[in-house]
Amino acid sequence: MRLKRVLALCVGLLLFTHAGLLHGGDVFSISGRLSLHGVYAIHDESVEEDPSLTARMEMDWRKSEWLLHSWIEGGWDGTVRSPRGDRAILKSFDEVYQDNTPYLELKELYVERSLAGIDLRIGIQRFSWGRLDEYPVNDLFNPWDYTQFIVRPIEERKIGAPSISASMSKTDWTYQLVWVPWLVPYRLAKPNERWSAVSEGAALSNISGAEVIAQEPDLPAGKLENGSAGLRIQRMGEIEWAVNVFHGYDPRPVFKTTALGVTELDGHLLIDPGFVPSFHRITSLGLDGAMVKGDWSLRGEAAYTFNRAFDIRQELWGYPDTLVSGITPLNPVEIERDTLDYGIAADYRLMEDWMLTLQAQQTVIIDRPSTLFEREIETILWANLSVHWMNQKIESNLNLACNPEHGASMVRPSVYYVFTDSWKAGITGLLLDGPPQSIFGRYAKNDQVEMVVIYSW
Amino acid sequence: MSRFSILGCRLRISDERRHIPTWSVVLLILLLSVTSVHAMSGREVYEKLHEVAKKTLDHKMDVSMTLFDKGGGTRNRSLVAYAKRGDGEAYKVLVLFNTPPDLKDVGFLVHARTFADRDLWAYFPEFKKIRRIPTSSQDDSFFGTDFSYDDFGGPANLDDYSFKILKEEVLDGKPCFVVEVTPKIHRKFTRYVSWVAKDLWIHLKIEYYQEKELYREGEFTEVRMVDDIPTAFKGLMANRKTGHKTEFTLEDVQYHTSFPDDLFTQRSLERAGK
Repeated sequence: MRLKRVLALCVGLLLFTHAGLLHGGDVFSISGRLSLHGVYAIHDESVEEDPSLTARMEMDWRKSEWLLHSWIEGGWDGTVRSPRGDRAILKSFDEVYQDNTPYLELKELYVERSLAGIDLRIGIQRFSWGRLDEYPVNDLFNPWDYTQFIVRPIEERKIGAPSISASMSKTDWTYQLVWVPWLVPYRLAKPNERWSAVSEGAALSNISGAEVIAQEPDLPAGKLENGSAGLRIQRMGEIEWAVNVFHGYDPRPVFKTTALGVTELDGHLLIDPGFVPSFHRITSLGLDGAMVKGDWSLRGEAAYTFNRAFDIRQELWGYPDTLVSGITPLNPVEIERDTLDYGIAADYRLMEDWMLTLQAQQTVIIDRPSTLFEREIETILWANLSVHWMNQKIESNLNLACNPEHGASMVRPSVYYVFTDSWKAGITGLLLDGPPQSIFGRYAKNDQVEMVVIYSW
Repeated sequence: MSRFSILGCRLRISDERRHIPTWSVVLLILLLSVTSVHAMSGREVYEKLHEVAKKTLDHKMDVSMTLFDKGGGTRNRSLVAYAKRGDGEAYKVLVLFNTPPDLKDVGFLVHARTFADRDLWAYFPEFKKIRRIPTSSQDDSFFGTDFSYDDFGGPANLDDYSFKILKEEVLDGKPCFVVEVTPKIHRKFTRYVSWVAKDLWIHLKIEYYQEKELYREGEFTEVRMVDDIPTAFKGLMANRKTGHKTEFTLEDVQYHTSFPDDLFTQRSLERAGK
């Protein structure tokens, strides 16, 4: 239903802009990328992944004050283990578990009208608020596709949100108003897929002869009061800063429990894991800034969030020690608390073609109950070293992250060889460690080596 | 008392000397003119060069670049650069890449309050983020080319350098001052030697040194007058250490453009000038 509305919106946009784009001199540009990925799973017990072949195409069509922009992505997604049988290929905007492959996704599709310093945009958009590279605390409009968490850059794993935005720039000031009329849910991998994050679901899917059926949540009704909105005011100058307010659905995944259901059918177990994705409204007040100090480019941001939901530790969810047929009620698992998030980042050029980025951020959970896995203060330290060699023929990158409170860590080295302006090929390693419920440890079995060939035009 | 200003030198002729024959005054002026050119200091050469550079500060340039590596491989870049002159020494520059695909819509913005005080930003569509760039990065490679950010960043502050004319030389049939320029501020180079064409007041050749070692050199050719402004349509910058070279071709240039201030904002940088 929601997909139909989005498609109707897209067709409307095309018709709306058609008349405007038919007149005057136009500027059309198109670019794209074709990527072939192959993953070698290092651990025997990890879920395997088929090769993926994906393409993306970006188009801009500008005519006087009108702009039509699209970013469409599609192809074969090798992470999907059991492609759905209904031949639907278009990624929807109202499902958490999406297993269509081949697939087509509208990452962005919007029309813009610029008049007197005001840009009005309507359509599927991505936003980027805040200053931190990974895990930005004020960037709340676009939920993430967690089937691509860690392995894809943040902007690629963002899900475009059907929305209306207005930006106005006046001298050094920029004002941006965003309205997302209905909830667009985050996307999660199914329990039998490689990037499934809930360890209980993954554990159940490891039971021989069992099929875990992830349950889609009932999304909030598409009413005006269920939209998300935000305002950002930014000032450019020697010290740049911005303040923003967001009110709407938290894009971070949490679950609510129903009941564990186990049905035996012809010696085959069908399991309803008893949890569904849950969505909570938050209000967040944020600020961020950037400045240059000597050789350092410094950035920082902070946000105070009201009523952010957390799940209690999974061992308290009420799963029985042994699986029995029938319905087993589970405990309520959600708790709402205010949080304070803050972080700083610095870019430093060590030498020509050597760029180091350091980032440290913390989340403080106000009045944290002891039932949470998260500590009162959670820290993520993140570093990235990007080095280009042989006159940019070789691009190397070393990405490190750790969550010291839980001893969780991630190491991701990559090397690409650039054959031509269009062709490059590379290899990326990924090592993850930590306890099962930690940010990196939940994927600890997913150590992998990935080979990539990219053609860009 | 009468005063004549000739090439920056003031000649004072008192009323008592008005009986001097006119021809001798003319001869004196001619002599002084010739000697004053020869006696130009390195600083004065660069002041002349700056006068020309300032005239170019309202422009749109379409540039293509070919990068040659030591093994003979080539890569291409194309970009468009917009600039606008403000009051005094203030100016703004916006550079946007069109190709290659990896760099499409990557942009670079300069806001200079004076030649010595400027803010730099870069925009990377891949991250959807604008980043401040420290001015200490101005000597770093400009997106993989052998040019630096500074080469695209507008005129330098002359007070930050000392100048010394080494010799005069004819280069490509054009008489040049060969000037040694030594930075008083920290730069990646310890000095550079430039060939400044007399009368045109633009660089025809430049050699960057780290101590005594030549590490980067550039040549600028196909000089044509565009709106009475001498403009080099071809250039080659070579890195002696790596064997890498970058050839630039000015595909199109327009001066006296008077772009609106809106073009030189972060909003415009994010939107690739659209």
